Amino acid sequence: MKPLDTLPTGAHPGEGRLDTGIPHNWMTTKLDYVINWARRNSLWPMPFGTACCAIEMMASAASKYDIGRFGMERMSFSPRQADLMIVAGRVTYKLAPVLRRVWDQMPQPKWCVSMGACASSGGMFDNYTIVQGIDTIVPVDVYVPGCPPRPEGLIYGLLMIQEKIKGESLADPRARDEAPEAVGRPNLPPETIELVAQPFGNSTNQNRMSGLGPTSALARSRDRRERRLEHRD
Amino acid sequence: MVRVAPLDGKAASHPSVRALRERFSEGARRVESDALGYPVVWIDPRINGEALRFLREAPDQAYDLLADLMGAHAGIGAPIQVWYQLWSMAHGRQLRIACEVPMHDLELDSVTDLWLAADWLEREVWDMYGVSFRGHPDLRRILMPENYEEGFPLRKDFPLRGRFSRSAQVSRALSRDLIDIYAVDELEMAGYAVTDDGGVRAPPERAAEGGAPGGIRDVSPDEQPEDALEGEPILINMGPQHPATHGVLRLVLQLDGERVVRCSPHIGYLHTGFEKTCEFREWNQCVPYTDRMDYLAPMLYNIGYAGAVEALLDVEITERCRVVRVILGELNRILGHLLWLGTTAIDIGAFSVFLYTFQERERIYNLHEAYTGGRITTSVTRVGGMMADLPVGWTAAARDFAATFPETLDEVERLLSRNAIWQGRTMDIGVLSADRAVSYGVTGPTLRASGVAYDVRKARPYLGYEEYDFDVPVGTAGDVYDRYLVRVEEMRQSVRIIEQALERLPGGPINIDDYRIVLPPKGEAMGSIDTMISHFKLVMEGVRVPAGETWYSIESSKGELGFGIVSDGGTKPVRCRFRGPSFINIASLPELVRGELVADVVAINASLDVVLGEIDR
Repeated sequence: MKPLDTLPTGAHPGEGRLDTGIPHNWMTTKLDYVINWARRNSLWPMPFGTACCAIEMMASAASKYDIGRFGMERMSFSPRQADLMIVAGRVTYKLAPVLRRVWDQMPQPKWCVSMGACASSGGMFDNYTIVQGIDTIVPVDVYVPGCPPRPEGLIYGLLMIQEKIKGESLADPRARDEAPEAVGRPNLPPETIELVAQPFGNSTNQNRMSGLGPTSALARSRDRRERRLEHRD
Repeated sequence: MVRVAPLDGKAASHPSVRALRERFSEGARRVESDALGYPVVWIDPRINGEALRFLREAPDQAYDLLADLMGAHAGIGAPIQVWYQLWSMAHGRQLRIACEVPMHDLELDSVTDLWLAADWLEREVWDMYGVSFRGHPDLRRILMPENYEEGFPLRKDFPLRGRFSRSAQVSRALSRDLIDIYAVDELEMAGYAVTDDGGVRAPPERAAEGGAPGGIRDVSPDEQPEDALEGEPILINMGPQHPATHGVLRLVLQLDGERVVRCSPHIGYLHTGFEKTCEFREWNQCVPYTDRMDYLAPMLYNIGYAGAVEALLDVEITERCRVVRVILGELNRILGHLLWLGTTAIDIGAFSVFLYTFQERERIYNLHEAYTGGRITTSVTRVGGMMADLPVGWTAAARDFAATFPETLDEVERLLSRNAIWQGRTMDIGVLSADRAVSYGVTGPTLRASGVAYDVRKARPYLGYEEYDFDVPVGTAGDVYDRYLVRVEEMRQSVRIIEQALERLPGGPINIDDYRIVLPPKGEAMGSIDTMISHFKLVMEGVRVPAGETWYSIESSKGELGFGIVSDGGTKPVRCRFRGPSFINIASLPELVRGELVADVVAINASLDVVLGEIDR
């Protein structure tokens, strides 16, 4: 038989006859394949838009870019009827419990796209109020870089989610189980959060002590060396 | 750090300064001049309430608009400064009252009874600096979580990345009790008992469920369901994740049936710490932060910020730069109003308008992209000029946009203006009277829809706006429909301004020729040692701005956009305050929705045209 991907394009219920060679429109395929096919072509995104990226997300849904072409135009504003959370924009510590709660409310199977630099890493806001990457709060499947990413970037990220779904298997026990013990808890252990949230490259004139004393690029390099020593221990 | 300018004739002869000195001889001794020239009166913090009452209520003063109330901190150990930025519509006068509050006695008189705008502004100063206000009805945190434990973020002894480690910040944020996100009176309304030590006890019938506040009781078999709801307040939590709040705004609504009895907005879910972060960036490095505050009309923020720093530097930008900024500013006013129109129409149920307006937005994005390379985050200005000159062919594209855009606007108007559903949903809804609007400090199209013709472009022209021929549309009813009409007409006026500006766009350099402020062209930097040194100093250190302070404002698409900037002569700001018009405008929401239907809350909230990045900063 032919795999589903090579169906004639005009085929739809009532008129389309699958050329399977078997009477009464029977066909056989792998369960994984058909489930993943259904899942990836009708994703219902839950737009968790907060800032600039949300405007680009709206542009992706509007006339010029139109993510309806990929079966995703049905934006679901209720987490209960969504399977893809798009976190677009900066997330603050005040918003973090809301983000986690929305994620916990989404039923499995669910995926998460972190759209933009702020959601992925805190971006240019390495300060007291911004979460340094939402992966400290919820598991992320695809990171879309950019500040903000263009609509094409978001669409590419969503196509990567589709690719990822293609490779999933029902037999994989890690994949899609509900985990009640993780509800409302950080996604990463404290040590890892400390590690991923360190100041990095472009935080000019800024280090862990910023605001308490004079800081400069020189002080920052010493700071880095100290950290390296810490890690060696 | 504060420039003690010799009292110039203009400031000394200001009638309010004279009157203040006569009345409070001891309390108002220090008079300075802002970088823009209007007077700054430093008063004794013990008499701030009295002095401001005099300025508000005396008929020959009549400062009816509290444009801004902000704090500033010069350094560890220094007193906290509180600025009151006043504007008198009747007399067309500007004045700043400032006081230094010593750290051991951080208390001032509240002015909430003089200006309604002071309510939220004082809460913000309390939140950020820990200055408490005597007589404030509801002094609690506004941007940070209510039980925030790390301190007062904008004080200089507060580290940029917070006091706790990142893992502690994450785990504390996630373990926050849901009860903590409600205000005390909201909890009491839902039957929760609040003990004196701040503990909360759930009402007996809900304690077992452990649920969040609600208000519906069970219906007994012998009564009608309607009877059960009679007189029972229902508490509804709307947001922060809600499609119709235009961002992460959260409203707690108390309902009587379908009618709103009380609404309390909770903000701060997008508090990004712009003001603190900018204190750690060089003057030009702050530009990218400004356009992420109002991502609906980013260039207006760029232009306003650059203008404020140039006021401190006391430099005159070139004529070409001025005209280019006017063109870009008006394009962005259209951009902001278009997004407002599209999303408001969705909220009210007219989806197709969104597709029309986004089509036009894409065309403006193309202009952005051709010039800056970015669609939203443009970062187009630099102190003393622009990031680059306009690319070849840009003006022709802009002219094309200005010529064809009004057609789409006509189409959209045909869809909405006479539409019975649109009129039914917007007329006589959310009426804001002129004097309440001024007292709330509401500015921009929302204020003009209420019949007050206050537009910074006319009141205190900047960038040569006095030379352009344009009208300021003013509404009469002050309802949602008038706000719609005012914004649509403003887009037409912006097109007029763009056409005039394109017509007069002069040649010549776009940046000033002072290489202590703007980067010299690459060719010159390699050619002579002087320019090379300037280039090196600018790249390695950044612009030095002379010590001083200013509060400068422009008209953004949402209202008066103010920049309160303090410099100590270094390469970074000491204080960078952004007076986002949305922050002040949204404070009037509880009054506007009182007595309206729940469905109208969405329309009214949308009609204020808020952007959360600017409310929460």
